[in-house]
Amino acid sequence: MERGDLSQTLGLLLGPPEREVGCDACFEALDRYVELEVSGQDPDFVVPGLRAHLEGCPACREEHESLHALVSGEEIL
Amino acid sequence: MSALQPTTVRAEPVQAVTPLPAAPTLPSQLDPESREWLRSLRAEGADHDDAVLRLHALLLRAARFEVARRRHSLPHVRGDDFDDIALQAADDALVSVLARLDSFRGASRFTTWAYKFALLEAAVKLRKRAWQGREIPLEAEGWNLFSSATLEPDDEVEQSELLETVRSAIDEVLTPHQRRVLVAVALNGVPIDVLAERLSTTRGALYKTLHDARRKLRKHLDNCGLSLESSTETR
Repeated sequence: MERGDLSQTLGLLLGPPEREVGCDACFEALDRYVELEVSGQDPDFVVPGLRAHLEGCPACREEHESLHALVSGEEIL
Repeated sequence: MSALQPTTVRAEPVQAVTPLPAAPTLPSQLDPESREWLRSLRAEGADHDDAVLRLHALLLRAARFEVARRRHSLPHVRGDDFDDIALQAADDALVSVLARLDSFRGASRFTTWAYKFALLEAAVKLRKRAWQGREIPLEAEGWNLFSSATLEPDDEVEQSELLETVRSAIDEVLTPHQRRVLVAVALNGVPIDVLAERLSTTRGALYKTLHDARRKLRKHLDNCGLSLESSTETR
């Protein structure tokens, strides 16, 4: 296991140090958060705690990445 | 009702796992396109039916988008099955969106708001499909990897000490339920919604358990005088 893997696993075990929202609140705010990201605004000021949750929750992170990709048109069907 | 567990388990409300400052208020006006979506979906007759068809097509597009992103992780699944997963995700998302129309406040465009339901439904179905028929590992299988870890010499002592302390803390500080959840999700890579279904609970409730377990570990390590932030990354 390389240092990056080890560090990542420790990160998953210990989670983000910052205050964070839960999965339900993350889903609730995700559309707004992504549009702020895509438009170049500061989503972490408007939706505090969501970024930390995305770092700690792999499932919500996947869904955030997909919505961001879909909205920003980075990927083509 | 939580959209994170739309079809199988009733959700317990978990708004925040830690106190947060108040967020700025939402925008007060809908954009014209979003207003038109709401008007037509709330209309009656052909106008409504046409809007529902357009919404379903939009949701199907998002569900297929998610399937296309994740299908490489499911090499044993046939193409037809992916089509079925996308269609079922769009169907379920349509039900969720129509049931929650009154909760749309215009914080984003309507289409972005609707997309997230289809992406969620597709992602959950794909994760469940990936774990279908597999036993959920609740014991710390991954620890064996640590024993064979290849570390830089300068890191080895610090990392070994931290790892051993984390390993001991998981056994000594956490409750059996916290230990099972943390090990399954963080160490063995079990998706949180898959684990929630197997344990007959909700994703939100399970994340609260995970969060509390992590806080206990961090507090324990802090009490032991171990530095954390230089040793961890969450991505």
